[in-house]
Amino acid sequence: MTPAVAVTLLALALLDGALAGFRASLGRTGLINHRKSDYQAARRGTGLAGVLLTPVITAACIGLLAHPALLGQYARAGKAMLEVYGPYALLMLTALAFYTALNWRLKYLASALILGPFTLLRPVITILGGALGLAQANDPAVAVLAGLSVIAVLMVEPLAGRVWYARN
Amino acid sequence: MAPRPLEITDLLWSFDAGGQPVAVAKAAVVGRLTALGQRRAARIVSAFPAPDGILDPGYVAALGLRVHCELQRLGEELQFARRVAALLSPIVGTIRLHGPGPVRIVDVGCGLGFVLRAMAASSALGAGVELVGVDLNPFLIAEASRLAEQEGLACRFEQGDAFGPELAVQDGARCVIISSGFVHHLPEPGLPEFFAAQARLRVAAFAHWDIAPCLWSTFGAWVYHYARMREPVSRHDGVLSARRAYSAARLQMAAQTGAPGYGIQVMEGSHWHPRALDVLRPVVGTLL
Repeated sequence: MTPAVAVTLLALALLDGALAGFRASLGRTGLINHRKSDYQAARRGTGLAGVLLTPVITAACIGLLAHPALLGQYARAGKAMLEVYGPYALLMLTALAFYTALNWRLKYLASALILGPFTLLRPVITILGGALGLAQANDPAVAVLAGLSVIAVLMVEPLAGRVWYARN
Repeated sequence: MAPRPLEITDLLWSFDAGGQPVAVAKAAVVGRLTALGQRRAARIVSAFPAPDGILDPGYVAALGLRVHCELQRLGEELQFARRVAALLSPIVGTIRLHGPGPVRIVDVGCGLGFVLRAMAASSALGAGVELVGVDLNPFLIAEASRLAEQEGLACRFEQGDAFGPELAVQDGARCVIISSGFVHHLPEPGLPEFFAAQARLRVAAFAHWDIAPCLWSTFGAWVYHYARMREPVSRHDGVLSARRAYSAARLQMAAQTGAPGYGIQVMEGSHWHPRALDVLRPVVGTLL
């Protein structure tokens, strides 16, 4: 895996973690002003994504040190994942930019047309990217790590909800 | 005509004439939902704790708060309080022209009072506006009051019936009664009386926002409630509320019957394309 692909995938996973943490915190307290707790939730999500991905990253590093020949396998799997996650991330970031930039009467459009529906599709897209990565990897260890990274990313939101925001 | 399907939250709480919670038997709730063919709703309720067959009041109260907090999230995303304030602002301005004194906005079926608290936080309607929320559910009223106090917001909440708004209305001529996402909870025969109760107080105006029923709104409600809500009850009731909502024609007729002295307008656009910005549209009545 080239460093650029690895760094981009990690950056996307951490960004996704921030948004997952943010979503996990929303609709919990009923307060009107929750900007501070929104930022805190995003930080928590980023940290949690980092923690959950650490074993995957560590295992990949150890695997590459032990078998440098696997670099090509990792690169193919990473690129395949990026081909799915890249456009999705671009779409979501563009919608977020519109949400921020539009006046209050119109900003819900970004939410109604893109952010809401594509949040619903996020698990499918995450699994699809992982499946493509898995299909590209001819090595079982690389395939397992691609699968684990998908599980780690999908666990951030429910785990953040359970750890920090559960309200009985 | 087939009976309207029921939302789970309509069945979980019951209050006596004094506003005190009454025990609700789980079997009765499950039975009513099953009888209407709402098997999924019945399954959701079946999982609720019910010592001795009575729904655990603590569990149900906490569930209600969680559901309303999630609802608030959707309202925030829709910029709903701002939309309400934008419609109310000229009405409040007209009332101010009639003389000095505060103008009162009464939100019936206010739940956690999100709309009022958000308007209080932004001072969207300017100075000299009193914001009063009314809801039958004492748990929601207590939480709305607590939240308002915690954030130092100038609004207050009282337990009361939407059919008896007089407890919150002192001077009808300087009062506007509103609600959001509430009207579809009322039985159809009760709609004219809902508007009549406000007309009897001669309030300056009323504006009640609810979902415009159409294929788009049902699909949108499904997408949104599954993307944004966590509670199975929220998802179930959210989608069902779009299906149960009253058409513009029914609301218009009910408002004209109940409040004949008012100019009535349902501010609804075409159903042929998705109306992302006016997911909830108001029926507005102004005293003629």
